[in-house]
Amino acid sequence: MILSGERPILEAVALTKHFAGRRRLFGRPAAVRAVDGVSLRVRRGETLALVGESGSGKSTLGRLMLDLMPPTAGDVLYAGRNVGALPAAERRALRRELGIVFQDPFASLNPRMSVADIVGEPIWLQGDLSRADRRAEASALLRRVGLRPEHGDRYPHEFSGGQRQRIGIARALASRPKLLLGDEPVSALDVSVQAQVVNLLEDLKAEFGLTLLVVAHGLGVIRHMSDRVAVMYLGQIVELAPVDALFDDPLHPYAQALLASAPNPSPRARKARVLLEGDIPSATRPPPGCRFHTRCPHVRPVCRELQPALEEVAGGGLAAGGRAVACHFWAELAGAGAGARAALPSPAFARRLALFEARSKAAAPAEPAPSRGPAP
Amino acid sequence: MPEPAAAPVLRVEDLTVRFPGVPAAVVDGVGFAVGRGRTLAIVGESGCGKSVTSLALMGLLPPAARVSGRALFAAAGGGVDLLSMPPRARADLRGNRVAMVFQEPMTSLNPAFTVGDQIAEAVVRHRGVTRAQGLARAREVLDLVRIPAAAERLRAYPHELSGGMRQRAMIAMALSNDPELLIADEPTTALDVTIQAQILSLIAQLQKDTGAAMILVTHDLGVVAEVADDVAVMYAGRAVEAGPVTDIFDDPQHPYTIGLMGSMPALGRRTGRLATIPGAVPLPADLPPGCRFATRCPFADARCAAERPPERAFGPAHRAACWHAPLESLGAAA
Repeated sequence: MILSGERPILEAVALTKHFAGRRRLFGRPAAVRAVDGVSLRVRRGETLALVGESGSGKSTLGRLMLDLMPPTAGDVLYAGRNVGALPAAERRALRRELGIVFQDPFASLNPRMSVADIVGEPIWLQGDLSRADRRAEASALLRRVGLRPEHGDRYPHEFSGGQRQRIGIARALASRPKLLLGDEPVSALDVSVQAQVVNLLEDLKAEFGLTLLVVAHGLGVIRHMSDRVAVMYLGQIVELAPVDALFDDPLHPYAQALLASAPNPSPRARKARVLLEGDIPSATRPPPGCRFHTRCPHVRPVCRELQPALEEVAGGGLAAGGRAVACHFWAELAGAGAGARAALPSPAFARRLALFEARSKAAAPAEPAPSRGPAP
Repeated sequence: MPEPAAAPVLRVEDLTVRFPGVPAAVVDGVGFAVGRGRTLAIVGESGCGKSVTSLALMGLLPPAARVSGRALFAAAGGGVDLLSMPPRARADLRGNRVAMVFQEPMTSLNPAFTVGDQIAEAVVRHRGVTRAQGLARAREVLDLVRIPAAAERLRAYPHELSGGMRQRAMIAMALSNDPELLIADEPTTALDVTIQAQILSLIAQLQKDTGAAMILVTHDLGVVAEVADDVAVMYAGRAVEAGPVTDIFDDPQHPYTIGLMGSMPALGRRTGRLATIPGAVPLPADLPPGCRFATRCPFADARCAAERPPERAFGPAHRAACWHAPLESLGAAA
């Protein structure tokens, strides 16, 4: 499906972002080292997830890669071209190929604009369509994300969270992007609505041939949606792996701890587990050596002094689905984490869920309509 | 396994909450019980009434809310009805024998007072001890929730603590008077997953040690699977299904429970598309007179929309309110 020799659609090269920190009484303000020397290639057509806890730098990395903020150091390459070195006009044109869906559907839509204008604005910015054509295009987009064209005359506050997220997705699609960044696209939504939006994103990805870069902390959503996962800790990638390899057999101690922390899928799978102690340290003064050493259950003296590089440990090249880990002792620790705890659904639940889905398909149009009334 | 019929610490019957101007009851005839040392999870999505239920029990709803039903709290020293008791008596109970942990510790701790002062205040208020004794107790409970360097943290302000530490401080405050009932409303929702795991295991351990009964309000079925003994699933103000946690996960009866569990992405290998519940929760004015889930339920028929389904038993302690359960009796054909 994905050619290994193909040039990555998007690439981060030693990307670094430092934010000015709080000013201290004496001395210079301490910089927050949000992203520190990250290199990463996104392959055309894949879904790559950036996962980590608050303060891991995953959102900042996503935004840097979309050219939404300038890096402190390092480069972003889009289809092999250095984004930072492009002339302004080309850079603007390129940005249209990169769409973004934000976490909070309440804060990311202008309350004074009608939905048709919100979705139509990116089309208008391209400038080559008549007003009627823009309107038609916006209607088509609204229909495609499961809303009705007449919803275009309403304003964001008239919609539920899930519907607003659909509007945000329609807007992101309006500039015909090739790559979509979802910055926690479903974490503000209720579980049942979250599932609708996850399915919609997957359908759109297939239909428009999109590449998805997903920033998320929900491990279930990541397992479900992604092809590969980059696990971040304090501004760096500690493990990069295909999703099943990571969830079945995480190699980095932090990835192991993260997966062990995920809540149980079943009350029958309860068991004692080793939990991480303490909090993620401050990004203004990340620990020396391996940044995870202050919380790592397997820490040894060298970890406190020498920072491990992200090295390839399996597979024929990272671009071909191999994996990489940044730990001095990963080979000895392999198997120390059992991976995510999966549980088979009970037969009664599986049976009834199948009935539920069969009935839903029979009763409803293909896409769940957000409100009553036939979709034209 | 449910414990033999020891008198529950709290038995709620027919709890109903109405707000002026809202046509439908926000909580409509909800009943449940929780025993000593046990955890009841109330699970549901936004607007299902789970938080209003917990606030009603604590007497923390705005005065305009009209609350009816009974909430029999049977702790050492005789039983009382939390809903009908005078406000002063309830204030004596609150933070004392019934304590609450909220979702957002940053907004539920007072930013202008140190953590030690806030915990000590609760102890002084209910135990009539001196401030020094209150502070000594505060230090004890901070130790109990495993806050490192508890003596120093007594003098810390809430903003000086991390999210996980703040939630520990909230739990310490809730535990400071040895409550018999702890109500925790989304206690780990604002936290990262490694911190959530720490807090859940801490709560479970403390509950085991103190024997307190706990009501855990959550939207997260993973958290339910992790810590609950019993579960009540709420939808649009009603408890649609309730029972022991293994019954709910192994033998779910209500279509909403099934749809909710099916929409949760699993940690195991991907099996296909997520199940979805179509649409969204209707506005109170649009709720059908019968089953409130009827507008979104693929099994709903005319009776569902018109007549409220009665609760029926599907096990010794397992009940569900659905006309069509068990669903196998229907078959897949429309």
